[in-house]
Amino acid sequence: MSAPTGQSLHPGLNLGEEHGDDHLEAETSVFGFWVFMMSDLVTFGMFFAVFATTVPLACCPGPKELFDFGSIAWQTAFLLLSSVTSGMAVLTMKQEHGGRGACTKKLVFWLLLTVLLGCGFLYREISDFISMATAGGPPTRSGYLSALWSLVGLHGLHVTGGIIWCLVIVVGVLVRGVDRRWKLALLRWAVFWHFLDVVWIFIFSFVFLGGLL
Amino acid sequence: MKKSKELHHYLTGFALAAVLTIIPFTLVASVGGARSYIVLVFCAILQVIVHFRFFLHLSFRGQQKEDLQLVLFTGFILFLMIGGTIWVLGDLYTRM
Repeated sequence: MSAPTGQSLHPGLNLGEEHGDDHLEAETSVFGFWVFMMSDLVTFGMFFAVFATTVPLACCPGPKELFDFGSIAWQTAFLLLSSVTSGMAVLTMKQEHGGRGACTKKLVFWLLLTVLLGCGFLYREISDFISMATAGGPPTRSGYLSALWSLVGLHGLHVTGGIIWCLVIVVGVLVRGVDRRWKLALLRWAVFWHFLDVVWIFIFSFVFLGGLL
Repeated sequence: MKKSKELHHYLTGFALAAVLTIIPFTLVASVGGARSYIVLVFCAILQVIVHFRFFLHLSFRGQQKEDLQLVLFTGFILFLMIGGTIWVLGDLYTRM
């Protein structure tokens, strides 16, 4: 089976014909990963639904006392920039690793930059969690705070997972070279990473900015 | 697609996403009020579309139709579940 020129086999950036069989191989694995991603999105959706049905109680500090506007802006910037740099990484792979013996330096640079931005995001998020807990808003205080911590925490766990996954890819690419296995891993990881930013759009809009309004 | 065109695609997406992020943030910082919430929702939905279109390369054309259906169906399920939850519990809340 060969793909007609320019036609994409799966959602997300396609490797393209210059990658030969790697491109065809990507169809099933990337589409399968999209199905997983959609089910993950439903999980996030249910966490959002739970959050939407809770109300900040008068007993405890509310959004205005707990949320740090500047920190939320920084986290948003970090994650959006990291989404772009992860796109640059996949684009580098697509454009420069079609043949053999291409230099992996540029690819590793973009991946490590993405990791760095992701760590910046996590650093601000964790320090926000700590200041929220010390300001009288630990997750055990009310239903609203439980829902808030689990929703934002679930996203933070995903980001942590994405960073670890990216580091594994960096090591794999450096040790084994950009072969089919790591190309497919990188394609799927990029979909995962872009999705985390999509989920973050909802979190910063409705949880944080909506709470501060 | 040409190399520079692909790069341009990402950068367009980034510029649009950045604008759609800056609007709600400045709105909350300066204006506030319940009316801003509508703009917030609007910008969020637009930005999700921008991300899907420019970063995840999803479109209405070509073979990606099935993939788009996968995403749209998930969106429908989410709408039912989140909308239903808010509807039912909101209704109970007003009755209390």
